[in-house]
Amino acid sequence: MGIKLVARARLDAWVDSLVQQQTVYGAQAKGDRFAFDRLERASALRLDYDVTILPPKKYFQPQREVIMRFNRKTVEFESVIDEEPFVLFGVHPYDMVAISQMDKVFTMNQFDKHYMARRANATIVVSSVETASSSVFAACMNNATMRGKSGHDVLITKLPSGHYVVDPRTEKGDNLCEGLAEAPEANAEALDAREKVLNQNEKSLRKYELRVLPEDLPALLDRSRSHPVWQEKAELCYSCGSCNFVCPTCYCFDVEDEMGWDMETGHRVRKWDGCMLVDFAAVAGGHNFRSKRSARYSHRYYRKGKYSWDTYGEISCVGCGRCITACTANIANPVEIFNTLAEAPQ
Amino acid sequence: MIKPRIAIFDFACCEGCQLQIVNMEEELLSLLEHVQPVEWREAMSDQSDDYDIAIVEGSITREEDANRLREIRKRAKTLIALGACATLGGVNKLKNLFDLEEVKTAVYAESASLPILETATVQALHEVVDVDYRIEGCPIDAAELTYVIKCLLIGRAPAPPNYPVCVECKLAENVCRYDYDEICLGPITRAGCRARCPSNAFWCFGCRGPVDDPNVHAATQVMEQYGKTVEDLKVKLTLFGTQ
Amino acid sequence: MIARSQLASPEAVRAEPDIYLPSGATVTDVKRLTPWEKYFKFKMDDERDLHYMPGQFMKVSLPGVGECPISITSSPTRNSGDRLEMVVRAVGSMTNALHALRPGDRVGLRGPFGTSFPVTGKMRHKDLLIICGGLGHVPLKSVIEYVLDERHHYGQITILIGNRSPNNRLFIEQILEWKQRDDITCMETVDVADPNWGGNVGPITTLLPRVRLFSPDTVCIICGPPVMYKYVLRGLESLKLDKSNVYMSLERRMRCGVGKCGHCQINNVYGCQQGPVFTYKDILEMGEAI
Repeated sequence: MGIKLVARARLDAWVDSLVQQQTVYGAQAKGDRFAFDRLERASALRLDYDVTILPPKKYFQPQREVIMRFNRKTVEFESVIDEEPFVLFGVHPYDMVAISQMDKVFTMNQFDKHYMARRANATIVVSSVETASSSVFAACMNNATMRGKSGHDVLITKLPSGHYVVDPRTEKGDNLCEGLAEAPEANAEALDAREKVLNQNEKSLRKYELRVLPEDLPALLDRSRSHPVWQEKAELCYSCGSCNFVCPTCYCFDVEDEMGWDMETGHRVRKWDGCMLVDFAAVAGGHNFRSKRSARYSHRYYRKGKYSWDTYGEISCVGCGRCITACTANIANPVEIFNTLAEAPQ
Repeated sequence: MIKPRIAIFDFACCEGCQLQIVNMEEELLSLLEHVQPVEWREAMSDQSDDYDIAIVEGSITREEDANRLREIRKRAKTLIALGACATLGGVNKLKNLFDLEEVKTAVYAESASLPILETATVQALHEVVDVDYRIEGCPIDAAELTYVIKCLLIGRAPAPPNYPVCVECKLAENVCRYDYDEICLGPITRAGCRARCPSNAFWCFGCRGPVDDPNVHAATQVMEQYGKTVEDLKVKLTLFGTQ
Repeated sequence: MIARSQLASPEAVRAEPDIYLPSGATVTDVKRLTPWEKYFKFKMDDERDLHYMPGQFMKVSLPGVGECPISITSSPTRNSGDRLEMVVRAVGSMTNALHALRPGDRVGLRGPFGTSFPVTGKMRHKDLLIICGGLGHVPLKSVIEYVLDERHHYGQITILIGNRSPNNRLFIEQILEWKQRDDITCMETVDVADPNWGGNVGPITTLLPRVRLFSPDTVCIICGPPVMYKYVLRGLESLKLDKSNVYMSLERRMRCGVGKCGHCQINNVYGCQQGPVFTYKDILEMGEAI
């Protein structure tokens, strides 16, 4: 199917028909902010959202997921794999970049079936950003738009005219857009208007200005181990992990067994964990390999700007700015940290 | 397998935590398939001095209570402190901020001198005896009690969270209470409640007490950032005796 | 047009094995070694050969209690299908529950995981200095049995064993055998002696001045508690060993074993995959390691 130019009313009708047919998660209002949630009707979909509190990673690696069932008496284990197809509607480009990175993390060397079963059964509709959040800096990280990127099934972009350019990118995307077959093809004028929106996003999604190129971060961090900023910022760190949990590229987890009331059967669950939490690197017997706040604090930035580069060739800060907002103590702005490091004499 | 014998006792408290156990309803029946209650004043008339697990609610406010608690400790293989009054002293600890005689007169007026109304400094259970496990909260979350009991049944040490409420609040995808210009005790309070208050549009009251190593320095600096004072914070911490 | 997605199809995902799913195994033997440590022998239900190498670890599962990493102490040279041996120190819920196991009881096992000591690589034809501190004896027993079984492949072998007290010594009969062999040197020490102890007293570094190395090309193997490494490495300086010939096994919180969960990370390295065995040279480059 080609690229379509879709009026709002038709888009809504399409979304309404999608939610009748399948499970759709979309960005919606939550209090004064936004969150992805099960979508019941098109009118609840807020494509004008700035940023969601949690990233859409929760649909691929839920906060808590059962990964296997077991029987305590017979000592038998059985995998639990969630294969229910779903549509994720309105993901921003920086979050899509993060999902693509997680695809690498969960398949590189060892294939994580639990993550990948959800991922393979998902259809992702990316929406070009309509409203910039107060702390977004995705443009500094080259993640303001989907230009040169993949992983999504459909890209929709709102034009200043109020119409949407709906652009299916994969077979799954084609199938999802079947309901738009009657809509007119996007003409050259519409495509040109879309380019202008994307150009604009590349300029405006930078509420903070990173004064280093993303690809220079690994070298910058490499020479900044003893910079005083780690200690200074860590003194105000609550070790609450908020920056971890709202981060679209934080995927660390813990595993725990839960018993049923028959005290015979139960399940093993995987839960989100965070490297900022005090016991993250503690082993049985009590030794904690990262007992200092500053060690935990700097580890996170090295993880984002260096280690993931070393491991899979990506800078894993995508510029969503969620950590900046989520940190109660206001110490989690990556741009501020990286700029401070860059100012230090070499 | 022999069912462990459980006794539930209460001291100075509102008994709201025991009520949470009664409120478990169907789950309570499942629980009773694995344990044998031998004394539980709120739900049964039997009494017993022979039990494996003692679940104790409330704080200690009189010397005779302290002695009774020591007796319970002697008999029980495992002693579990149930709820904020037992684990922290709780709201009852507000009394410790005032002169004891003044408090007695304010509450009992002319009857204050009756021996039966004797009162002392409020203590949490662990200030009187060794406590094996703590179930925090005002009131407790029944899910945490069942977790602890299940752990004991299969011989696993229950591990209460040593991270702040912010963790569970983020997992619940709540809007941060600081966004609403409120002082929330979430960043320094031990999780385990599934961020019950912030999930229902209230700040965290700190009823579960602080994490092992709360960043007090950060808390005071943060107050300034949000245009509050350390006094504002202290007032909030006083409520459950965790100042 | 943007490249079509390279994602696996739902069918392809379904065909993949579950990396977190344990296999069943049965306890075939249990021995108490010390007041704190017990020895276990396991047999896989499917009797498959695990193809483990000295230095690797397994994830042991007890449903309802959890899963924990345990070093393999047996040598693959003595592996006859039912010969997977581990030693467990009771320090937490999981290890206490393991101590309650009896022959015939069942567990779940995943692994083997991690890197191993280069018994078939760099160690071949070299003199070996093997330093075991406390529970570090457990994975190094696998190394020692391996090199003794293939004795002709290696040069001089010196074994140092240090423990907190005589009570903490593991595999005492085997140590005595090693001491009696004339083709290896085995020395022992304890930090604190008891009235029956006639041997060396002091930290393991007190044995180092008595070590006679014949080759500057000696390969050194170290495993012990985190605090031990700093002192042993300092003590080794005078022996002037090549830092890429010094191997050690680093303890970390190996949670998933497959390089995903993040707990065992040492800077950019996953301890469970690129470790636990590292060279001293690797470690100096890594920082944060010891």
